[in-house]
Amino acid sequence: MRFLWLASIFWSSLLLAGSPEQEMNVNTRYTVESVELAGDSPAGISSGLRGELTRLVGNKLDPAALDDLATRIRRELHVRAVTHRLLRGQKPEHVRVVFVVRGTPAKFEASVPKLVYRSDAGLSGLVEGTATVGRQAFTFGVVSDGDDLAERYSGIMARYEDKRLATDRVRFRLDFESYHEQWNQATTNALTEQGAASDTSGIYRTRQNVEPLVTFVLMSGAPGLMNLSVGSSFERFQSQFPAARTESANAMVTTLRYHRRVESSGANQQEWDAGYSLRAATSLLGSDFAYACHRGDVQYVYSWGRSQVQDDLTAGAITGRAPLFERFILGNSTLLRGWNRFDLDPLGGNRMVHNTVEYRYRLFDVFYDSGAIWDQGQSPVLRHSVGVGLRQNGLYAALAFPIKEGHIEPVFMVGMNY
Amino acid sequence: MARAKRDPEATETITRRGWLLAGLALPLSRAWSAERLDVTWDGDDLHVAAPQLHFLVGKPLNRLQDGLAVVFLTQLTLTTDNFTTSLRRTPDRFVFSYDLWEEKFSVTKLGEGQRTVSHLSAAAAEAWCLDNVAISSTGLPQDRPFWLRFELRAAEPKDEAAVIGDAGLNLTRLIEIFSRRPRDQQPQWIAEAGPLRLGDLRRLAGRAARTL
Repeated sequence: MRFLWLASIFWSSLLLAGSPEQEMNVNTRYTVESVELAGDSPAGISSGLRGELTRLVGNKLDPAALDDLATRIRRELHVRAVTHRLLRGQKPEHVRVVFVVRGTPAKFEASVPKLVYRSDAGLSGLVEGTATVGRQAFTFGVVSDGDDLAERYSGIMARYEDKRLATDRVRFRLDFESYHEQWNQATTNALTEQGAASDTSGIYRTRQNVEPLVTFVLMSGAPGLMNLSVGSSFERFQSQFPAARTESANAMVTTLRYHRRVESSGANQQEWDAGYSLRAATSLLGSDFAYACHRGDVQYVYSWGRSQVQDDLTAGAITGRAPLFERFILGNSTLLRGWNRFDLDPLGGNRMVHNTVEYRYRLFDVFYDSGAIWDQGQSPVLRHSVGVGLRQNGLYAALAFPIKEGHIEPVFMVGMNY
Repeated sequence: MARAKRDPEATETITRRGWLLAGLALPLSRAWSAERLDVTWDGDDLHVAAPQLHFLVGKPLNRLQDGLAVVFLTQLTLTTDNFTTSLRRTPDRFVFSYDLWEEKFSVTKLGEGQRTVSHLSAAAAEAWCLDNVAISSTGLPQDRPFWLRFELRAAEPKDEAAVIGDAGLNLTRLIEIFSRRPRDQQPQWIAEAGPLRLGDLRRLAGRAARTL
């Protein structure tokens, strides 16, 4: 309990650490004349990021945008720090922006890409280390996640990534995952009840996946960023019942993503993000399961001043018989927050639709989630939840309430990048 | 118990321990040496001034001249027992920036009643900052001695962006931050006054004394 309090204090201090001081910078009334990169290794940034730097020219100085771009340059170059400074421009009332890159590219970086604690599901997280050699990166990670799927999966992951395969518009990555699974009693009970009528796999003890993926940058710059990823996933898992045996779900994987940011006059900004992914398992790849899993999502963000409104729409459908890890769930830390996924559908569903509307003012956040999960042939039941939270620099703490009759138990969530 | 007689010559020499203590005390005394604080009273609040205290120097000044905004955190502490325990504290935050074209400073006091001034010289900006900190004298008898301490430090430039980003928490960067040597920390300034009595203080014009 004491550690929980300590963690809360640490988290609160991080959440409150950010503030809009830079908006009070007297130089925000000046216009950006030019943007330069200086320092240790400024040449290696992508053409997309270089385009975003160029777009600052001619606009009023926006310190928040400079901070954001400095972070992105640092991440892209894997350097210790990227700072920025301003100099007087050649023309009156104009300033020059100079990003200074400090430190040689890091050979090794350790990070925590995901960490979330839910009062009803415990802790989920991923810790990984990445060694970078030129444009190639080797990552090794340890994960325990009871938030994403119907099961809690724990184990290791490894990834090889080449960020420039002949051209900087083609990237390659190879993922390997090996997990041990833990199951909730509600899931095993539901499987027992359905018996042979179940249109999914049984529970499994272990699961391994090998997934090579090639990503093509179809479009970048002012019209937006569009990526197409194509690859395959070779997934093997060891079923426990009725007898221990190894099954496979080998699938072709395709993902198309589009992102666009539109900055209008003043401080208004609109952002679009949309994606569609398809996982098609077929016996041609030696799969024991044949199915197609479609998933699409659209996100729209409108920001003005310190306020932001966001809408996220996600929908998915599975045709055929898919294993449990492919099935959709609601009632976790991102979808239909406040509900317990084992109360909604302990096996997940093969149809899902979900929408979130969120309003943020500075670090304060209120949200309204609605969604339905069901199986083909059933009638969907729409459910709702509301919540409040604090969000800053990827850190998030929230309290979510399911909207339903009878006893309501709120769910507390705290973490980052979830 | 009888004490061993000390050699009279030994008192003339400085021991290694003495050198060590002196070596440690010198930088500490530099860091913590308090400037003198001028205190006035308007009947409700105590106001301070420290014309000899200059904090727009060094790293914070360099950052300002690079066109960045710098946050200064201040705290005024009132005690009645020579800083053993504090009777009252008032923390404040000020955002300073430097106009690259006009070569003048702008200061914003954050919080309730946020206000901004611009076109100030360095000395005027420093003075405005001190003019805008005050501490209530409520409950302090006119004849009771009290002490005031003014502390000011520049906030660290934000590191959160580097530590936490889209890729999550960067442990390597976090270790770097916790491994920093103390000399890399932001400078701080202190000014003190006391013992003082309300009855002895110069009264600011325009405010009536409150019945205590």
